[in-house]
Amino acid sequence: MNGPVDGFARMRLLQGVVIFIFALLVGRLAWLQLFDSRYEELAKANVLRHVVQYPSRGEVLDRNGEFLVQSRECYDLMVIYRELDKRGFDTARMCRILGLSVAKLNREIANARMRPRAPRLVSSYISKEDKLRFDECNFRGFYMVYRTVRRYPRKVGGNLLGFVSEVTSEYLKRHPYYQAGDYVGLTGVESAYETVMRGEKGVKIQEVDTHGEVKGSYLDGRYDSLPKPGRNLVSTIDTRLQLLGEELMHGKVGAAVAIEPSTGEILMMVSSPTYDPDELVGRGRGNNYMRMLRNKRRPLFNRAVKAKYPPGSTFKIVQGLIGLQEGVLRPSDLHACNMGYQAGRQRMACHAHSSPLDLRFAVATSCNAYFCYVFRDILDNPRYDGPKEGFDVWKEYVHSFGFGRKLGSDFLDEGHGYVPNREFYDRRYRRSWNSLTLLSLSIGQGELGCTPLQLANLAAIVANRGYYYIPHIVKQIEGRDSLDARFYQRHYTMVDPKHFEPIVEGMWRGVNVAGTSTDAYLEGWDVCGKTGTAQNPHGKDHSTFLSFAPRNNPRIAISVYVENGGFGASAALPIASLLEEFYLTDTIRRPELFERIKNMNIYYPYYDR
Amino acid sequence: MIGERFRNIFGWVDVWTVLLYLAIVAAGALSILAATYKEDSLAPFALSHFYMKQLVWIGIAWVAALVVLLLDKRFIHMLAYPAYFAGLALLLAALLFGKEVNGAKAWFEFGSFRVQPAEFVKIATALALARVMSSYSFSISRSGDLFKVAAVICAPLFIIVLQNDTGSGIVLCSFLFVLYREGLNKWLCIPILLVAGLFISSFLLSPAVLLVALIVICTLSEAMMSGEWQSRMVYLAALALGSLLFFWTAHFIAPGAVSFYAALLTVTLLSFIGIAVYAYRANIRSVFLPVGLFVGAMIFLPTTDYIFDSVLRQHQRDRILSFLGIISDPRGIDYNVNQSKIAIGSGGWLGKGFLRGTQIKYGFVPERHTDFIFCTVGEEWGFVGAAAVLVLLCLLILRLMRMGEYQQEPFGRIYCYCVASILLFHVLVNVGMTIGMMPVMGIPLPFMSYGGSSLIAFTILLFIAVRLDASSRQFPLEKKSSL
Repeated sequence: MNGPVDGFARMRLLQGVVIFIFALLVGRLAWLQLFDSRYEELAKANVLRHVVQYPSRGEVLDRNGEFLVQSRECYDLMVIYRELDKRGFDTARMCRILGLSVAKLNREIANARMRPRAPRLVSSYISKEDKLRFDECNFRGFYMVYRTVRRYPRKVGGNLLGFVSEVTSEYLKRHPYYQAGDYVGLTGVESAYETVMRGEKGVKIQEVDTHGEVKGSYLDGRYDSLPKPGRNLVSTIDTRLQLLGEELMHGKVGAAVAIEPSTGEILMMVSSPTYDPDELVGRGRGNNYMRMLRNKRRPLFNRAVKAKYPPGSTFKIVQGLIGLQEGVLRPSDLHACNMGYQAGRQRMACHAHSSPLDLRFAVATSCNAYFCYVFRDILDNPRYDGPKEGFDVWKEYVHSFGFGRKLGSDFLDEGHGYVPNREFYDRRYRRSWNSLTLLSLSIGQGELGCTPLQLANLAAIVANRGYYYIPHIVKQIEGRDSLDARFYQRHYTMVDPKHFEPIVEGMWRGVNVAGTSTDAYLEGWDVCGKTGTAQNPHGKDHSTFLSFAPRNNPRIAISVYVENGGFGASAALPIASLLEEFYLTDTIRRPELFERIKNMNIYYPYYDR
Repeated sequence: MIGERFRNIFGWVDVWTVLLYLAIVAAGALSILAATYKEDSLAPFALSHFYMKQLVWIGIAWVAALVVLLLDKRFIHMLAYPAYFAGLALLLAALLFGKEVNGAKAWFEFGSFRVQPAEFVKIATALALARVMSSYSFSISRSGDLFKVAAVICAPLFIIVLQNDTGSGIVLCSFLFVLYREGLNKWLCIPILLVAGLFISSFLLSPAVLLVALIVICTLSEAMMSGEWQSRMVYLAALALGSLLFFWTAHFIAPGAVSFYAALLTVTLLSFIGIAVYAYRANIRSVFLPVGLFVGAMIFLPTTDYIFDSVLRQHQRDRILSFLGIISDPRGIDYNVNQSKIAIGSGGWLGKGFLRGTQIKYGFVPERHTDFIFCTVGEEWGFVGAAAVLVLLCLLILRLMRMGEYQQEPFGRIYCYCVASILLFHVLVNVGMTIGMMPVMGIPLPFMSYGGSSLIAFTILLFIAVRLDASSRQFPLEKKSSL
């Protein structure tokens, strides 16, 4: 055996070992608890669940205070599997009340079994009435969560108002504000004023256990926040006019836009075919959306701001104004028209009217030949170095009327339209072209593409004699004094206001004296108008009409575009005229015309094939 | 007369030990209450709750402690061998007829509660070890006696490992602590520890590196034991040179036939013949201890892969690999340890307060009332509370060692050291596991983890030491009179 001295020394060493081991443990403990702050965050991440409180989305009223978009309360049905009645419950009855299929309910309950203590969504968009009936039955384990969805009391303006949809994962990547499950306005007003209408989300911090079961609020809700509701909007739309416009455009493909010239406010914007916005809300949404996507007439395409149409004869207004400003045309200049314009082998046909004629009469009767002379004079102006330079000048003028570019309205998806430039023709004609080559531009054909909004804006420019306000759809935002400053500025064209009077005179004569637009005559309202008939590769000519009324202090400027509608006077003109009549007088005194136009259905072989 | 002794024995009980014991048990009971308390429980005092059950177990444990204190010291002495063999029999019975829990076939089931014989075998082994080592004419430096000690420790260890309850088995290895106190040559202790380290790291090292490490460790420890450095250094150099020569020659004759590992192994094994001759001539027997250690390790090391792949269960393999950092998977294997670290780490200085630990209350830490009870302490009482519990445990262990030193008989001293080493090992592994210092082994925290058999076994283990100590104080001259 070892001696006592040896044993004592070994005891001391072993004591040292014991104390060393405990020092190690305490040291590691101190590191974990006092210095490494990671674990506190991880513990919170384990326990805390941030529940988003959704604000109610802003509502939209029309200019007369009528609701266009409302928020409707609805409910999501949730289930907690563990709390279900173990003896089973009357699934058939529940499905009957909520309009679910038994198979779907069973499937959702089977899914909920994966995390038996966590709430799981069974069905969305349950109406208040169904919810009340459901509550009477007292199904154990189920409960309802409040939500709001959109509701459209007048069922108008599908493309105009736009729709709200759950965010996609792609959208989430670009917009970090949103989280999966949020709703966001994707088109129309809903997307343009998304940041105003969405409000601010609130948050409720809850404590959950390892099974996902909610155990209570964190620190008695000290860090919770309430949601701030979104702001309401007052739209510039006149609901009654919009309804009438949609009714008149029914059965035709095209668009109609009406603007108040003195403010740039859009009174009506119809894109036809349209759809009932309520169809994109609720349970039927997915199916309806797919059906609309498959529809060849493309009801989801907002033609009023995106379509590119050849403006046809309505563009002669622009042509005449440029000529006057450039000094190559005086209102009294006479040109001969012998059933058309002949230059070498090229010929531009025209219809029968007296000749020679001056500018006012040329506008009223829509003479092709007259504007061929005007257009060639602009391009071949000796002031410039050849027709190409002249074309550049012409293009600048056209731009100043808002063509070939975005107007800057509040529609985010507004189209540019199209005005070709010099390079385009250089490529197409291998640099050898002159004013004669581009002759079709003189009557608004050729490569020109205008959106119906740009055309309505042209009507507003003429009505204002030379300037416009950027067209916009929102009149007022709740809680704000004004809109964006750009909507209050006058935008002048490059044409002096004094040159507008002869054109206005021509447009007035075309309606009130003699010309292509006499059907648009309204007694006592001094309507001015210009028809357009645009050739196109799809079949019958497009029918279009520009108009404003009254001649002095105009209250409404309007453009109507009906695809394959024939002459400007046969489809677009009566629609515009009826809309003006209704807006100015609140009545329709031509019921036969109204009935005829309303029931007019145009056959579209290339859409409905 | 006997009755008088029984009456008086309580007067000689070491008060400090008992107070430390009571404090730790109280801390354990409060932690179990915190870990399993349900706020919305309709009947908070119903016996179905873990904390109420634990109160019952504490009562039973105290009765057991009283019974132990009333036992005669001689009876305890006498009981050592029968208890040991009975324990071995129970282990075998559990292995054959027991119930499997968590993959370990180590439990007996009686109605609704279960007993793990391994818990009680620790006591029996400690008693038997004390009995063997305190017998007259025992000398730890004698090989025969050392093998007896090894047999006493390894027999239950072997059965427990067979039961697949590796954690409980390894506890018995902690008796090395006792052997060292009793004079085991320290140059044998160190290589044993190093070889144990090699076992653990054998997953990380190549066989050649392991072989070189083994040769160096064994030779150097032998040199330290004998004090003859020069010849051992020459031996090492000769080994290196011999194996290099062998390797090159083999490479010259048949390239690629003999690897360096094989060459070194062959030369080393051949050198044993020389060593045997030398040792026999010079009559130094001590050389055989490191040689035996080396041969044992050489037999076992290649089997670690086999043990690892065949004997260990998937979850044990994953735990070891996860601890060694070979695999990392927070939602899977590491989940327990990660959640445990989060719970403790989020405690901060003073903790979240009694019954306010969110990780514990909401069930993020698994096994929070049994093996991971220390998480509750760490989260709810913070660093201050957790360190205080560790200090209590440390004081208890140091007190037991001091108690052992004051014993008049080797039996008492060895037994006290056995208790101290068992407690130390349990605390190190259990607490180390909750804070990510040790791999996860299913062994409880003494006196604190929920569970009847563990609490009662630890209480009996401790109070036998207290009983031995009390009689040693009561009759300070008994040693002389009895001898």
